[in-house]
Amino acid sequence: MAQFFSKEWADEVRDAIEAGPTEAMRETKLQEYWDFYAFVRGQYEASWALGCRDLPRELGGSPSYLFVQWHDGHVTDCRIVGPDDPLEATFVLAGDYADWAALLTGYDAQRTVMYRKLLLEEGDLLQFFMAIYFFVESLACLATVQADLSAEAGKPVPA
Amino acid sequence: MTIAERPSPTAALKAPPRTLSRETVDEIDTTNLKGIGDVDIDDVLEYVHKDLRALPDFTSLYKKYLKQRWDVYELDFTQDRIDWVEKMTEEERNSFLAIASGFHHGERQVEIELPVFMIGGSEEEKLHIAAQIEDEARHTVFFDRFYREVVGLEGDDLMAVLDQSFQWVSEVFVGPFGLLAYQADEVRRNPYDERARVRYGTTYFLWIEGVLALSVMKVTLSYARWRGFLPAYYAGFTATCRDESRHVQGGMRYLQDAVRKDPTMLREIHDTLRTILTISGVNSREIIYEPLGWTEDEVRLLMFQQLRRKLNDVGIKLSDELEALLQMVQPVLAGG
Repeated sequence: MAQFFSKEWADEVRDAIEAGPTEAMRETKLQEYWDFYAFVRGQYEASWALGCRDLPRELGGSPSYLFVQWHDGHVTDCRIVGPDDPLEATFVLAGDYADWAALLTGYDAQRTVMYRKLLLEEGDLLQFFMAIYFFVESLACLATVQADLSAEAGKPVPA
Repeated sequence: MTIAERPSPTAALKAPPRTLSRETVDEIDTTNLKGIGDVDIDDVLEYVHKDLRALPDFTSLYKKYLKQRWDVYELDFTQDRIDWVEKMTEEERNSFLAIASGFHHGERQVEIELPVFMIGGSEEEKLHIAAQIEDEARHTVFFDRFYREVVGLEGDDLMAVLDQSFQWVSEVFVGPFGLLAYQADEVRRNPYDERARVRYGTTYFLWIEGVLALSVMKVTLSYARWRGFLPAYYAGFTATCRDESRHVQGGMRYLQDAVRKDPTMLREIHDTLRTILTISGVNSREIIYEPLGWTEDEVRLLMFQQLRRKLNDVGIKLSDELEALLQMVQPVLAGG
């Protein structure tokens, strides 16, 4: 299992959100909803920086971001941006470590947004919400990637 | 009166706007919780609109609140539970839950997102907003009681019951209510940013309260009145609708004043509506309205009527682009 906010985790997240919702996820909603998702995704030209405000130092320190670039309906870049790295994204969002942990252990993606557990810190809010269902579904895909959330995960393995 | 003698839930939809007599207005203005159970929901919906052309000031709305507030713990849901379990069909219960659950969560959302808006308001507006926050808290308790005592959900606290009813909430709920949450955070960071406040007010007062809430209230309330079921739900939610009249009038007053002071604020209203209408053109679940006496087209027509009346009454015109988006709107079954 990849360490939370590690390069390996970012790679797995890229694969998950690129693949999009699974058949099981799709079966629970109307086709018109997925048509709208596909329409938005197909023309999406923006990037997200999804930050963790209090990421433990052992896991990289804070603030760290998962940067995701979209182009022509595909993820063209997905990587971790650390506290000392330059950050530039269309939409910068951030949440607390505890809320990230909840999302990755089964808390609903829609309520993560609705209950302000992940907040927009930079970017045009009305523009961001034009693609809100696409964002929430991508967040739900991200949440399917298992991650080792323990601070122990970031410590070097003893020789 | 038998079900065949009562007007159908959609009868008022096809009739011209009502004219309320002075006596009816006085009755709605002053009746208590027991009396409001006998008031026709279509009269209360008309009551919401009656002051939109000459909007009351915030102090008048606060005075009205003091006279109209009601005790949510006075309601007795015993008969509602009997109706729910023994008289309503499974199809009726399923349709009812698909609609009411958007309110269960919607009332909680509009309660917790409102305090930040008070910071940048005038002193008189602060009185009105403080009263509205108390109203929304009471409405949240109303739905908590309904889900526990009638539907039969259990939980140690409010959130535990919300967690259980979330299964019936549509995925598109995050559109208007997520937007409101993020706009509330924008106002929290800059409470005196009038443009951010107008965008917030458009989502909260015009769309969620003025269009979604009033439309969806009518669906469940007209069903309950038509069938003669759920008397405590009818009384409590009709009282809620009367509360909403103050909220909508206060909200429209705020938007109208903002545009009169600075006509460029109209752009903020239009930009917000553009986002809302764009994401309102899709549904994620099939909602069967027919067991409640409605069709999807009738609910959509009701929403259009609600939006147009408010825009017309407060003098907000839509651009051609927004008019085109409006034609594609799907009903979102939620409110607050």
